[in-house]
Amino acid sequence: MFWMYQMVMVMTAGQGRLSTANEQRFDELWRTYWPSRGDTENHWVMYYASLRIVSQLRAGRPGAWWFNGRSSDENAAESAAYIREWIRVTTTQGQGEYDSPGYIGEYVVPLALLAGWEADPVRRDEARRMIDYLLFDYAVDQINGQYAGAHSRVYPRQILLPGATTASALGWLAFGVGDRLQNAQAVVLALSGYRPPEVLAAIAQGAERPYVNRERKRTRWRIRHAGPDAFRVGERLTTPVYKYSYVHPDFILGSSQGGLLQPIQQQTWNLRWRVDAPSQASNTFFTVQPHSSPYEGTMYFTFDWDASTDVIARSKVDYDSPDKLASGSPYEQVFQEGPALVGLSHIPPGARFKHLSTLFSRDLRDVVEDPSGWIFARAGAVYLAYRPFVAGQWKENDWTGLLRGGAGAWISSAFDTWGNGHRVLVSEAPRNGYVVQVAPARDFASYDAFQSAVRALPLSFRLDRGPEVAFTTLSGRVLSAGYGEVPKVDGRPIDYGAWPLFDNPFAHEKVGSGQLSVSHGGKEFKSDFRSAADANGAKQP
Amino acid sequence: MAVSAPVSALQASGTAHELFAAASMTRSQRNSSIPTDWGMFRRDGREGWSLFGPRILGVAGLAYDPFNPDVLLLAAADGVVRSEDRGRSWRLTTGWRIADVRAFAFDAGDPLRVYAATQWGPIRSVDGGRSWESVAEGLPVRYSQTLVADRIIPGRVLLGTESGIFLSEDAASSWRPVNSPPVTILRLVQSASRPALLLAGTEGRGAWRSRDGGRSWQPVDPGSAKANLYAVAIRADDPDVLAIGGWATGVRVSTDGGETWSARGAGLPNPWVQALAFDPDHPGRLSAAVHEEGSYVSDDLGRTWTFAGLYGAYGHDYAFVPAASR
Repeated sequence: MFWMYQMVMVMTAGQGRLSTANEQRFDELWRTYWPSRGDTENHWVMYYASLRIVSQLRAGRPGAWWFNGRSSDENAAESAAYIREWIRVTTTQGQGEYDSPGYIGEYVVPLALLAGWEADPVRRDEARRMIDYLLFDYAVDQINGQYAGAHSRVYPRQILLPGATTASALGWLAFGVGDRLQNAQAVVLALSGYRPPEVLAAIAQGAERPYVNRERKRTRWRIRHAGPDAFRVGERLTTPVYKYSYVHPDFILGSSQGGLLQPIQQQTWNLRWRVDAPSQASNTFFTVQPHSSPYEGTMYFTFDWDASTDVIARSKVDYDSPDKLASGSPYEQVFQEGPALVGLSHIPPGARFKHLSTLFSRDLRDVVEDPSGWIFARAGAVYLAYRPFVAGQWKENDWTGLLRGGAGAWISSAFDTWGNGHRVLVSEAPRNGYVVQVAPARDFASYDAFQSAVRALPLSFRLDRGPEVAFTTLSGRVLSAGYGEVPKVDGRPIDYGAWPLFDNPFAHEKVGSGQLSVSHGGKEFKSDFRSAADANGAKQP
Repeated sequence: MAVSAPVSALQASGTAHELFAAASMTRSQRNSSIPTDWGMFRRDGREGWSLFGPRILGVAGLAYDPFNPDVLLLAAADGVVRSEDRGRSWRLTTGWRIADVRAFAFDAGDPLRVYAATQWGPIRSVDGGRSWESVAEGLPVRYSQTLVADRIIPGRVLLGTESGIFLSEDAASSWRPVNSPPVTILRLVQSASRPALLLAGTEGRGAWRSRDGGRSWQPVDPGSAKANLYAVAIRADDPDVLAIGGWATGVRVSTDGGETWSARGAGLPNPWVQALAFDPDHPGRLSAAVHEEGSYVSDDLGRTWTFAGLYGAYGHDYAFVPAASR
């Protein structure tokens, strides 16, 4: 599928310019090479968007002309049906590979192909509006172009250089935020002629902060072990993801509820603070409970139980490494209220890894290990307080040397430029947890004053059962939870059942909406995805 | 073998078979999600294999129409791929709703009725594999990767799921659980010569046997009682000869219908066995797919093994298909 969109891009951009020999070679490849549809939604969207366009470029061809034995008309109809379904599911149930700094490109590019070159004007418009949708999703969770908060998938380099991602490249192109980056996927979007609604740029550029952004997403499709929270979408099973971000002019603290929300590369929460040169900064802070297991592997992949971990690690090389930076865990639970966050973990004896890793990036300044157990740091114009429940030991990032030693282009290329100089606090205990409190420096007379204020905050936890925690934040909110129970804020359980698809100052959409209405500063736009393509006579899948 | 077919005139006449293997070459796969080669391979010499059909990722099995072996079905991640001319041309016959197809079974009473196990639930065709529909309604769990269509009774299908075996007696229109272990069923086979006998390999609960056509199941072989068994096979002409294989289990063989078992993996390069099949043309010859080592063959029920090609393969299944009819 990765081969397909690049082929289609050349075929579209090269129309009338390619030699006869080149055209014949393209035709030969579409007949003889069977491109895989892949196993994730981004693969499928790329596959079907590309197949849709090339079916139109080579309209009227019989099945014998195509790799899959189906005619141009059949391939075009099949592609349109899937894309329609993906749009329907995404705009009613949330995206499966949600909010990924890298994989946003794998969705924007195929949509850009459709927005730029789809023959049907209704479908072309729908693709354009779907780019709006994804870029709005990004705009409300980014700071200076850097995607922040919980990510479905993120690579180590993207974790440690969060401003050097496809999302940031799209942010500069679409909204003028962040640094300009060399990025082929942004080029495809530019070539498509797409232009975002003005209101999105105003939102992305940071007006009206601070605010809280809540989003309901969903996990990747679960093949097995779907669990009690699973719900069915057609033939597929998935479970809800509840995202919460506190978006401040100086920082974003964002999280999901934790758990196995993605099979690989999940980032459950992070803190991102404003910097002047976002493409070069390592402005990130987070905790991860590393986890790998056949249970997880077979939940999301078609692999055999015994081979699954090895097969995953053939491409995502750090999947089974104790020092990996991205992971979901079935033994973690996270919740957040404003700029404060709580994480709990209960790790059974048989778990592959039994520790929490908290990354202290090289960009943090004046890190203080306070006798109270709090650890303080300056993060740009932000103060950070972190309280592990069990003391840890400091290790260097990539302490196994896996990435430093070379782990393939995807994972570790140019490691020396982004992987060195970071420390990890490794805390190992079967019952564990932590509290995070963030505040803008401007709210305190000094760094010392922030530390004093945090030390004075009521905090209690116990690890002989649970774990359990009760923490009163700087704003006086009381966060409390026992592991495995619904967390409470000021004594009231968080209402996950009513979590909206989008809820922020600019948009309010319930699960199932199929629409997006955005307004800000007197400007607005509305998209209704419920019936646009169907009105053009397309067959419903 | 995942292929369960009624005994056709071709088979009854003793037609020779060709051996196929679904495999992915993963041994040298590093820093990549793509094997170095993959697809359905046809054996064309002692150690020689050549790609057969399209090079599709996630090919898991091959089946043939028992009354017209020129009609072939490939089980693939992309869906069902069908040929009517023994592989000269192919057509994808499923749409976006169907993926990760693992095994096929032709109905005993109607060669146009075909069932398939997919990891998203069972599907059925009533036109010989030209089109497909989901038949998962009523199943509490849908994951399936193995199934058997009864060789004798039309419309009777046994499906291995994430939570045991389910039985349909109305051509997969409805399902009910049978008395089987509530774990993932990795492989189901039915004896060709004693159809009441079936053998199942499970995830974590070893091998199970049924002597009543799949209505009830009992564990066999205490020596592999907790194993993940990906491979089970029954010798076509002698239902007392059974073979099982799995992860860290090697190959184990019974010659008394499953009452006693012997370890027969000592001659293999590792104990990770992913597929087994008895050769219908050479009674007693057993093929084994050994993880990333390739295909091995034994003519003495596993006492000795000989390398048979496909070095580096992650083997998914074997299929014996009657030789070309014209």
